[in-house]
Amino acid sequence: MAVLGIPILENLYPSTMDMWPLEAKEFNRNWQFYENLKQGKLTTTKCKDCGLVSWPPRVICPECYSENLEYTDLPNKGKIIVFSEEVRGVPLGFESPLIHAVIDLGVAPARRILSRIVNCPAGVLKRGDEVQLAVFPVPALPIDKGKLGTVMSERVFFAFEPVKK
Amino acid sequence: MARHAVILAGGQCKWGVREAHLVDLFQEAAKACFDDIPTLKPKDVDGLIVASSYAGRCSFQVNTAPVIAERVGVKPTSICTRVDVLCAGGSTGIILAKGLVESGVADIVMVSGGEKLYTPQKWEVFYSELASVDHDWDGTNGMGLPPPFFSLTAQEHMMHYGSTKEQLAAVSVANYNYAATNPVAQMQKTLTLEEAMNAPSVVPPLTLYDCCPITDGAAVCIITTDEIAKKFSDRPLVYIRGTAQVCLNSVSANFPGAHLADWKHTKMAGEKAYKAAKVSPGDIKVAQTHDCFSISEVIEVEEFGFCKKGEGGEFCGSKQIELGGKVPVNTDGGLLACGHPFGATGIRQGIEMLKQLQGRARHQVKGADIGLTHNLSGANAEHTVLIYGREPVK
Repeated sequence: MAVLGIPILENLYPSTMDMWPLEAKEFNRNWQFYENLKQGKLTTTKCKDCGLVSWPPRVICPECYSENLEYTDLPNKGKIIVFSEEVRGVPLGFESPLIHAVIDLGVAPARRILSRIVNCPAGVLKRGDEVQLAVFPVPALPIDKGKLGTVMSERVFFAFEPVKK
Repeated sequence: MARHAVILAGGQCKWGVREAHLVDLFQEAAKACFDDIPTLKPKDVDGLIVASSYAGRCSFQVNTAPVIAERVGVKPTSICTRVDVLCAGGSTGIILAKGLVESGVADIVMVSGGEKLYTPQKWEVFYSELASVDHDWDGTNGMGLPPPFFSLTAQEHMMHYGSTKEQLAAVSVANYNYAATNPVAQMQKTLTLEEAMNAPSVVPPLTLYDCCPITDGAAVCIITTDEIAKKFSDRPLVYIRGTAQVCLNSVSANFPGAHLADWKHTKMAGEKAYKAAKVSPGDIKVAQTHDCFSISEVIEVEEFGFCKKGEGGEFCGSKQIELGGKVPVNTDGGLLACGHPFGATGIRQGIEMLKQLQGRARHQVKGADIGLTHNLSGANAEHTVLIYGREPVK
């Protein structure tokens, strides 16, 4: 597919225009976070030396600088503290209504995670509503593997959705 | 003898939707700056700091400083560099220039800032704003454009402190009316409370005039020492008395306050700058705070101690930010009405402070001798404060 005005970019992938993370192992030492998401688990890193749980995941502990980290599960359900709804003028890459919420997952460091609410029409959410993790696919990452050609690396991302009553 | 940094002169180009290239805007602003001080010539400048965050994305130009140096006709010998702190780039340039001239590394530094944000296709700048916040963790949630974040902020201020939509609108009205006669502002029209209250919705409770526009523009100022300044100008000297820049988080989930309307990092930056400048909130006669949204100014007047925490809505709603009020704020129109070309904004604020403290501002605050400027940047993740004064810190 041609890029309007820049014919030389036909069929090329510009990572500088990619709205999703470069999740693949080749480009991201926190690739395990995304693999865990694919299993339906929201996780982050915990320092095995000082015990600090960080959000988002790291490759060093920001407190004691240990590299001895492990993935730990975060709760999949939480409560909405406050939310906003954007119906018109939603930016490219997102659908209307674009709903944002500050969500309390009940444990540090996730007492005020700012995320998106999906699978929810405008005008129905209330403060205090229970929401749960929603994992969805995003476009695969095309990685140039030289003689092997381009390999498509599957990707997912996450938001939250109302818990059906 | 101690060297004390002063802001000697400044100018900006017309801000708005500009039919111009990024480097054109810097040239126009440099000319406006030298027009402000005809005795100073480009050859007198030995240092250049360029603040621009979107040159890389919207003008396909990194390593911007040499490009700007050449186009504005300066040949730096002490420093020639770019800073990127998004909305605080200009203020950061001034902080760095102060350090450079006071330490003797540089003598006369041009601090410039600018952005060309309107691209040939409208989608691109909005999409590129995904880079303004933490890309992988906040951009992916559609937080590149800031209205949702500040909607949540406004709602939490209303929840915890009882501020009202009318009080937010009062900020927009004050700032638009300050800019109505500002020839370089993006928005040059008066605004009534009724118009502000009946404006189209953006993200409730924010409506059109609660949000600053997207802006092309540039601004340039000159930072030097008091002794050097006296050789070029007999205007009153305007010192940079104290500064602070506080960054406690990047990802929104790690916001340092108890909630989004508790700006602990803003308060910290203010207190540190006050201490460095040896002044207190009661000394501030005029302020240019970061009114990217009306709610921002409401919270900033609280965190800087112009009123009690939680009373910002009432402070702004009772005309305390207007001429004759306790602390006139954003006397040239602020971000809401001047517009906000990120790297240029802190310089615009510095220029307005220079004029206020020299007694030559369009909306002059009587007896202005100490003033504060402030920026926030990212998803409310960093705060930058400068205190200007008619006397150096002793």
